[in-house]
Formats: sequence, structure tokens, C-alpha cells
Amino acid sequence: MQNKSNFIKVDCEVNGKPVSLHVSPDQTVVDVLRNELGLTGTKKGCDDGNCGACTILLDGKAAKSCSMLIGQVRNKKITTIEGVSNGEILHPMQQAFIDTFAIQCGFCTPGMILSGIAILNENPDADEEEIREGLHGNLCRCTGYVKIVEAVEIARDRMNAGGAKNEI
Amino acid sequence: MLGVQKMKFNSYHEPETIEECIQILDEQGADAKILAGGTDLVIRMRSRVFKLKAVVSLNAIPELSEVTLKEDGLYIGAMARLMDVSKLELLTDAWEIVKTGAGNVSSMQVRNIATLGGNTCNASPSADTVPSLVVSGAIANIIGKNGPRSVLLEDFFTGPGKTVLAKDEILVSFKLPNYADKTGAVYKKYSIRGDTDIAIIGVAGKITLNAQGEVVDVKIALGGVAPTVMRVPKAEAFLTGKKLTDQLIEEAAVIASESCTPITDARATKEYRTEMVRVWVRHVLTDAAQEAQKN
Ligand SMILES: Cc1cc2nc3c(=O)[nH]c(=O)nc-3n(C[C@H](O)[C@H](O)[C@H](O)COP(=O)(O)OP(=O)(O)OC[C@H]3O[C@@H](n4cnc5c(N)ncnc54)[C@H](O)[C@@H]3O)c2cc1C
Repeated sequence: MQNKSNFIKVDCEVNGKPVSLHVSPDQTVVDVLRNELGLTGTKKGCDDGNCGACTILLDGKAAKSCSMLIGQVRNKKITTIEGVSNGEILHPMQQAFIDTFAIQCGFCTPGMILSGIAILNENPDADEEEIREGLHGNLCRCTGYVKIVEAVEIARDRMNAGGAKNEI
Repeated sequence: MLGVQKMKFNSYHEPETIEECIQILDEQGADAKILAGGTDLVIRMRSRVFKLKAVVSLNAIPELSEVTLKEDGLYIGAMARLMDVSKLELLTDAWEIVKTGAGNVSSMQVRNIATLGGNTCNASPSADTVPSLVVSGAIANIIGKNGPRSVLLEDFFTGPGKTVLAKDEILVSFKLPNYADKTGAVYKKYSIRGDTDIAIIGVAGKITLNAQGEVVDVKIALGGVAPTVMRVPKAEAFLTGKKLTDQLIEEAAVIASESCTPITDARATKEYRTEMVRVWVRHVLTDAAQEAQKN
């Protein structure tokens, strides 16, 4: 039985909206996102820090939400896959994944897209090698990485050419 | 089933000062664990390697992430994130090896959250930042209820997952003493799939030459081949005072491979690790000697 007396309050921002959580401190970020906030776009793959399916952005930087306790996001800005599009308009990274067919089963895709965005946040001109280095922490068991890398390159080129830039 | 595995602990503390932190640790005793980035701790709590009652986060103590250049060296806070360390501009020339070590830990996502102090305090024999810090002569600055103390980093580890830290103590910062002219330092991680993998072995080497090109100081540190990261005093003594040749470096590499005591695990056999120590010590010393000529 949960003893609510040890619950902690965590104020943070999720996809641009302030959120005030009252949660058990032994929960990981991925579990709170999925189970408390219903944001199931963040996937739970290995749950031990290896596969990258649970990747989110924390203050614009990629992080694995399975290996963080909920207390660690206090006062931080979280972006999940649900928060990357601008209403109906897809983020250039999402559009590029569709256009290059960089998806098969789709389970790794939210994490891949967020890592792609994080790579370009850090380095808008990332070349193929830098993109591959950045994607090291995201495993795909279907496609191989060729299309995924291509998608990030296309998103980079479109964003640098002034295509709908999405500040995240 | 993975999905139902749950960690359980009763209380989460987030002290805002070091004093408050030590007080909490002292009160909680052996039932508490310190949380830095959590990339080791959270995983282990879930797999029930650790059973604990309280978690004490260091994330709300800003001074623990400070980086300060002082006259006697560079101080890097224990909570400095590995991504920041891997890009730290103050880490010049012979200190660049610390950047390399940090940059070799796992992926972007892990480096963004994991800390230099966590990598050390986790005390894995294959921790990627440790060999570089050890050859740099790093000193661990510690504080606990009995006040501060400092320990040479190579004496900080007492076994796999074990350190000299008492229950009420935390690692505050690392001090990298200034390096001499004509010093070169190199770290190489050997793993199957690059950074993402835990190292099969890791080798750090630092060489200081005099004007005549003779070795005045050399340090070699090996990761993944003993219960803790280890120095190789015999190989270091063998090279000191000599002008390096390929032959001498090869002999030092053989001594290093004979000095280590690796185990066989999922990543490699002990025989393979021993052989790889010889190969990678040779590469590291060759490159470090070249760097030393340049610096
Ligand atoms: C997928 C994956 C891949 C990894 N790959 C690598 C790799 O390639 N190379 C590598 O070296 N490591 C690797 N690791 C291990 C881990 O990420 C690193 O050891 C990391 O640096 C730990 O730092 P942290 O801040 O997350 O530590 P935490 O998990 O927060 O803490 C680790 C331990 O140190 C203690 N601790 C932390 N800070 C302090 C302090 N200041 N004072 C006292 N005690 C403290 C904690 O109580 C805990 O026992 C990997 C981990 C994962 C999940």
C-alpha cells in the first residue's frame, strides 16, 4: 500500500505547461510521464538506460527518463514527443522522419526524434559523423540507422534553410 | 516481469547546503544513498542491488558543480556533468585527457545527466574518467561531519563499488594539480561498440620529458583489469630517466600486461584483456610521448 505521507511535490514544466506533481519519490520520470500524465509517447524499452526509447529533453538537452528519479526534474523544462509539433504542424524533424521513411515498428522513433532535435540544438550544422555519435544512445532494431541519419540530415538542412524552426 | 519491478524507499531529501546534506546523511546512516545524476544509482535500485530507505540528492547544492582555476590547479566540482567536462575549455594540453575520459562515457543522454563525482564514487573498475584523473594526479576533496579531508584519487578506491568515503561523507571536488611543461597525456578506451559500451579495458598514460628528451615522470593507469583502477609502478620505474624508443615502450607494455589481474566476464576473457593491455599501453605511451614533445 502506498503511504502518501512521503510523497513529494515537484513543480516543473511539461511541453510548455506548468505542472505541479504530488508523487511518490521512488518513481522514475518515464513512469510519471506515462502513468500520471498519460504521455505514453515516451516509450519504456529496456528500462536500464541502454536503449534510448525513453529519451526526453530536459532544458533542451537529451536525457534518458528511465534512469532519473522524478525529484530530478524539479524546476526543469521537459519536452516529450507530444510537445514537439506546433499544433497540427509537425516539427521539421518529425516531417523528415516521415519523408525518408525512417520508421518501421516505430517504438524507437519518439526517442530518435528527440535525440535528433537535441543534436541540432547543440550543433545546428552537425555532420553525418556527429549525428551518428549523437544517436549512439538510441537503439533501433528494425531499420538499421541509414534512414534515421538521413532524416536528421534532411531536418538539419531544412531548418538551416529557414524552414519552420521550432524552438524547444 | 520488468514492468512490475519497483524500487521502494521512504524519503527523498534535497538539501540546499553541504552542511544540511551531511547532517541528513549522518542521521540516516547506512540506509541512505547519495543521488548525483542517478544513471548508476537508479538502475541499481530498480534491479534491487541496493535496498535503501532514503535518497539524498546533491542536485540542489550549486557549489558542487563549480569549476575554478586556482594557483595550485584546477578544481572541478563533483556534480559537474560529464557533457560539460568533456567540453571544458579550462582543460588544456595535458589536462585534455580528463575531457577525453568524460567524453568516452556512454551516450549524449547519459553524459548530459551523469556527473564526474558519480563516475568516481560508483567505483567501477572500468569507469572511464578515473584512469585519466589518476594519471593527472587528481586529489579528491571530501567533506563529512568531522570536517574536510583530501585523498589522492588512486587511494580513494578500496574495491569494486567501494571507496574510502564514510556514510556521512561526500565527494566535493577534484583538484587537478598543475602540469609541467613537455607533458603529454592520453586515454584510450577499448570497447566493442565505441562509447556506448562499457570498456573492455581503458588505458591512460602521462609522460613528462626534460630538455634532453628523457622521461622525468611517467604514470600509467589501467581500467577494467583489476578490482580498482590500478597504476603500474614497475613499468613506470622502468621508463623513468630513459629516452623512449619503440623497444622500451614495448617492454613497458609487457610489464603492464604482466602486472594486471583481469577477470573473465561477458565482455572479454582474462587472457584477452591481458593481451589488450600490452597493445593499448603501447599505443597510449607512443601517443603520449609525441604529445609531450609538442607541449
Ligand atoms: C547505459 C549506460 C551506459 C554507461 N556507460 C558507461 C561508460 O561507458 N563508462 C562509464 O564509465 N560509465 C558508464 N555508465 C555508468 C554511469 O553512467 C557513470 O558511472 C556515471 O558517471 C555515474 O554518474 P551519476 O552522476 O549518474 O552517478 P549516480 O548514479 O548518481 O551515483 C553513482 C554512485 O556514486 C555515489 N555518489 C555520487 N556522487 C557522489 C558524491 N559527490 N559523493 C559521494 N557519493 C556520491 C552514489 O551514491 C552512487 O552510489 C553507464 C551507465 C548506463 C546506464
